[in-house]
Amino acid sequence: MTEKVLVYLEINNNKLEKVSKEIVSHSKHNFPDFEVIGLLLTDKADVSFLSEDISKLGLDKLFVAANNAFADFNSSLFANTVASYIGEICPDVLLMGATSDGRELAPRLASKLNIGLTADCTDLKIDENKTLLATRPTYGGKMMATIISKTKPSFATVRQGAFKFKPVSLVMPEIIYRNDDINGLTCYVDVISTNIKPEIEDWTTSDIIIAGGLGLKSKENFELIYNLCDLIGAKPAASRAAVELGWANQDIQVGQTGSSVAPKMYIAFGISGALQHMTGISNADKIIAVNIDENAPIMASADIAIPADAVTIIKSMIHKLSH
Amino acid sequence: MTFKIIVFVKQVPDTDDIKWTEHNTIQREGLDSIINPYDVAAIELAKNVKFILKDCKILVVSMGPKQAENVLIEALAMGCDEAYLLCDKKFAGSDTLATAYVLSQFVKTQCSDFNLIVCGQQAIDGDTAQTPSSMAEKLGIPQVCNVTALKDIDLSSSVWIRDTNICTQQIKLSHPCLISTSLKNADILPDINGYIKAQTANVATLTAEDLSVDIDKIGIKGSPTQVKAAYRPVIERNTVVFESKDTDTITDFIISEINNCKV
Repeated sequence: MTEKVLVYLEINNNKLEKVSKEIVSHSKHNFPDFEVIGLLLTDKADVSFLSEDISKLGLDKLFVAANNAFADFNSSLFANTVASYIGEICPDVLLMGATSDGRELAPRLASKLNIGLTADCTDLKIDENKTLLATRPTYGGKMMATIISKTKPSFATVRQGAFKFKPVSLVMPEIIYRNDDINGLTCYVDVISTNIKPEIEDWTTSDIIIAGGLGLKSKENFELIYNLCDLIGAKPAASRAAVELGWANQDIQVGQTGSSVAPKMYIAFGISGALQHMTGISNADKIIAVNIDENAPIMASADIAIPADAVTIIKSMIHKLSH
Repeated sequence: MTFKIIVFVKQVPDTDDIKWTEHNTIQREGLDSIINPYDVAAIELAKNVKFILKDCKILVVSMGPKQAENVLIEALAMGCDEAYLLCDKKFAGSDTLATAYVLSQFVKTQCSDFNLIVCGQQAIDGDTAQTPSSMAEKLGIPQVCNVTALKDIDLSSSVWIRDTNICTQQIKLSHPCLISTSLKNADILPDINGYIKAQTANVATLTAEDLSVDIDKIGIKGSPTQVKAAYRPVIERNTVVFESKDTDTITDFIISEINNCKV
């Protein structure tokens, strides 16, 4: 018998959320005995607007639930709908992104089904008994906990950036499209207005990320990171300490309370490398750390540790690259 | 009729020194504790409602060991009116589903005529953000998470600002309903009246029996999730320390690494 993993696919601004793609990719590559099934809720008459995205996912099957009421996110309505599909599909594993909506929907759904839920996972494995091992950071990233569930389906939400999306060659899955019935909706939520925020360019998927921390000593020095990134074609990032001091915007924070990234190269200038930062870059192919403090934790956990003043090196690099 | 708000608060450890029990749950006894910073923001929102509606009572509730009484007294000093501690050894080891069940039983058995529940979105120890939504489902009421402000309220409904990374929304809910806030660390200083009141206030303690909870649904036994392993993350890389201290050499090295990466 084939096991099934059901992935809830989130759509925002007519696009599939990145984390939804990452979860499908991870399931496809790491759960070999599992059939990977997608479920998405839409107010559209068909899903042609997502065809390109869907064809690269590698899903075995896709359920599309359509109703005008799905135009706005409503956790109670969405939980009712997803629950009815779970009853029909009977998945062994249920996964969704730990987005704002996902973190609101998942617990409501778990509570409805009276099943366990593990939030914000950074790793998912299947053991020899085909049990889901869901690993998540806890205590602000100071501890990792691996959670199993006594109930079925095993249910977890996944942090964006925890896995890499690997597109497959264009294959459309079998699509089961239904105009969904939403009888029995009792929890009324009235969305009076919605202001979509301007889309921020996704820096987290950049091949090269250059990050700065406290060792840069000032906001002016931190801004050199932007110059250097422009010269290299890299994307800037910051440690929590740099963000808290107002040197950088929180959107580019890396670590447990920021984004997880997995670039080919991560260059950390003046970052001490607290555990909560390091867990956010653990999937980077290569980490280069430049720090004057040879005893900083990052100097023992990077691939290449360079004991030098970060600002001096950045200035020297900018000088060389712009001449 | 008095408008009733329930605020759920959690005491969280204020230390790096986390100890785990033999069951891989957290050893809470003996830890220094603070009121979860998100829950302070929840109290602030509840007080905003009270300021507008006037005839309003704020009940503050926590589930935890005896020492969790301290955060309830603090909440009273911040302006909450009544405090309840849900304290029973049978609750120990409850996961988020079991906890949401216990809290929903408090609502059903002690304050079923509530109008509004306000929660902090998550606790800084677990960061799961599960309990509020889970509880809203158990109570069959509408909810909104990621709330950053109260826009408007009357006795029958309220409008809240929901702010996420994607959008900002105004959302109207009819009462009773639940909201959870993504704000934290609101600076609420206990006022003198609150402080005096808290000195003499009574924190009511309620057990599993008082809340008519089914003990098969609580504690370690009643929790569907189990911590299989808890460990400190180890970042393992074979670190090479760069030998040269010469700025030019270092600069050339990093630039060549970048160029190799781009190929």
